[in-house]
Amino acid sequence: MEILVCVKRVPDTADAEVALRPDGRGIREEDLAFGINEWDNYAVEEAIRLKEKHGGAVTVATIGPAESEDVLRRCLAMGADDAVMIDEASFRGADPYGIARGLAGLARRKAYDLVLAGALAGDDGYGMTGPVLAGYLGWPHATLVTSIEVEGKKIAVARELEGGLEEILAVELPAVLTIQTGINEPRYVSIMGIRKVRSKDIPVLAPADIGVGAGEVGENANLLRSLGLSTPPAGAEAVMLKGAPAEVAQRILDIVKERGGVA
Amino acid sequence: MAKVFVLVEHRRGSIREATFECVTLARELQTAAGLEPAAVVIGSGVAPFAETLAAYLPETIVVDDPSLEHFRFETYAAVLRDLIERETPLLVIAPHSAFGMELVPRLSAELARPCATDCVAVGMDGGALAATRSVYNGKIDERLAFAPAGGYFATVRAGSYAPADPAGTGAIRAHACPAPPAAWRTEHRGYRETAAGAVDITQAPLLLAIGRGIKDAENIPKAQALADRLGAVLACSRPVVDKKWLGKERQVGTSGRTVKPKVYLALGISGAFQHIAGIKGPGVFIAVNRDPKAPVFRAADFGVVEDMFKIIDALAEKLGAK
Ligand SMILES: Cc1cc2nc3c(=O)[nH]c(=O)nc-3n(C[C@H](O)[C@H](O)[C@H](O)COP(=O)(O)OP(=O)(O)OC[C@H]3O[C@@H](n4cnc5c(N)ncnc54)[C@H](O)[C@@H]3O)c2cc1C
Repeated sequence: MEILVCVKRVPDTADAEVALRPDGRGIREEDLAFGINEWDNYAVEEAIRLKEKHGGAVTVATIGPAESEDVLRRCLAMGADDAVMIDEASFRGADPYGIARGLAGLARRKAYDLVLAGALAGDDGYGMTGPVLAGYLGWPHATLVTSIEVEGKKIAVARELEGGLEEILAVELPAVLTIQTGINEPRYVSIMGIRKVRSKDIPVLAPADIGVGAGEVGENANLLRSLGLSTPPAGAEAVMLKGAPAEVAQRILDIVKERGGVA
Repeated sequence: MAKVFVLVEHRRGSIREATFECVTLARELQTAAGLEPAAVVIGSGVAPFAETLAAYLPETIVVDDPSLEHFRFETYAAVLRDLIERETPLLVIAPHSAFGMELVPRLSAELARPCATDCVAVGMDGGALAATRSVYNGKIDERLAFAPAGGYFATVRAGSYAPADPAGTGAIRAHACPAPPAAWRTEHRGYRETAAGAVDITQAPLLLAIGRGIKDAENIPKAQALADRLGAVLACSRPVVDKKWLGKERQVGTSGRTVKPKVYLALGISGAFQHIAGIKGPGVFIAVNRDPKAPVFRAADFGVVEDMFKIIDALAEKLGAK
């Protein structure tokens, strides 16, 4: 099974201070830690497991700045066979349609059976790249996938719905799937593992290599245009309980008792 | 007059609540932009759903065909391509759910009609449609405009609009299901329940919920011990389940359980909408998080900016001393 996995380097913003750049068009990246998008990590693991079970090869790809190489090396250390980068310059500021166009061009370079992507990225959270890519390729797709079983030229996948419910879909190959967290337990990557793939060649493709013409992607070609970013008011609604932990704990217990939560 | 379509989401015999939140947005756009709202019901044997929607919006379009029994991208997209090309709505809105995420982005690409997903608001900005999205873990808001096109799509985050109440009686109109292609490439095989388990978090008056802030599997017993002393049931956010530290039956949120406790005490949970959407009812919500900017403080009644482990220890001490 030939599998392409699309990955993205994103900042960790859940547990960090996020500030706007002075021009208001982006966030300050200097103090943030970057890594592989959480959903993509599960997608890479799933691709490697499919390869281990059914043979074939896993290629990981990204469209992103030069620093994204670290993310690709991490995927190689996990067990991906090849990695490829698409030169980011012409994609700078591209919306999910532009990114999906680039990835579609890449997917057409080889006879892949499966393209995997994360169900969404933790930074902008569109959840569009995978299904839009499927549209450009004209392949069937399934989003929010939580299990994959290969059945010859078909796969059976579970899609996560709401309220603890899943639906089972049979999907013909080739197909595009977007992976939901929890589908597997991604393997640990050691420093040693990363060292081993340090010298592996990661080709950088130009837009022309993937059939994308000048001006077809990037900020000016976007279907979605940013009008600007702003910071929402923090904790506008909550009454903040202040004081030493012991005092706060007492307040919490009082509230629990008052509201009939017992304790 | 230009139209705004609401795609009605239903599953296993009932209309999903998120549909009525989209109805509220459609009504707002009627007032703000003069758009004419219509509901679009697609399925098999869905006449009762059309009746329901007719009590909410001036027009309901029904596409009823046995081939549409279970939602699938392929079959629904075929209907919507046909319907949208004929009726040219300015905007099509749907919930940002497993349904909307599967259906709308790809359809928008195929029709070259721009789509903004996971919107917390959609309105007018200088005479054109604009969307607001919450990005970077809820810490930044982004305003988006659409490149000029024949029409647009938006998927709406759960809880961004209050569910609408019925108002008036609208017209119902049938639209024919287009002829199917020679072969489909996907097939619906059924549903599966994943959140079954021995613990029922939906009935507990007091829930102690832990998130990724718990950091390590080793810390779970500490949280469980505190829950026991409090007389609380231990619940959690999704990453704790993804890591297999707690069972799926303890997960609160859109893809887990909906709970309505008297008190919800959340420790180390950032407040993603998928989590918050699972907390309902008039109970009180207390959030402990060391990040003062955590979006959970926009949803909670009481907030504590502190290391959750200090609060766990302090609560344990108070309860021990009793
Ligand atoms: C389709 C879909 C469905 C989903 N369904 C659900 C669902 O049902 N339920 C759900 O919960 N999520 C769901 N999610 C995931 C959701 O988007 C978030 O990723 C998740 O809720 C984040 O969990 P968290 O708040 O525990 O972790 P994070 O967002 O990582 O937040 C951790 C928080 O802990 C704080 N923290 C860390 N250490 C400490 C400490 N020592 N003391 C105090 N605070 C600390 C940090 O400041 C941070 O705010 C879903 C996502 C998708 C795409």
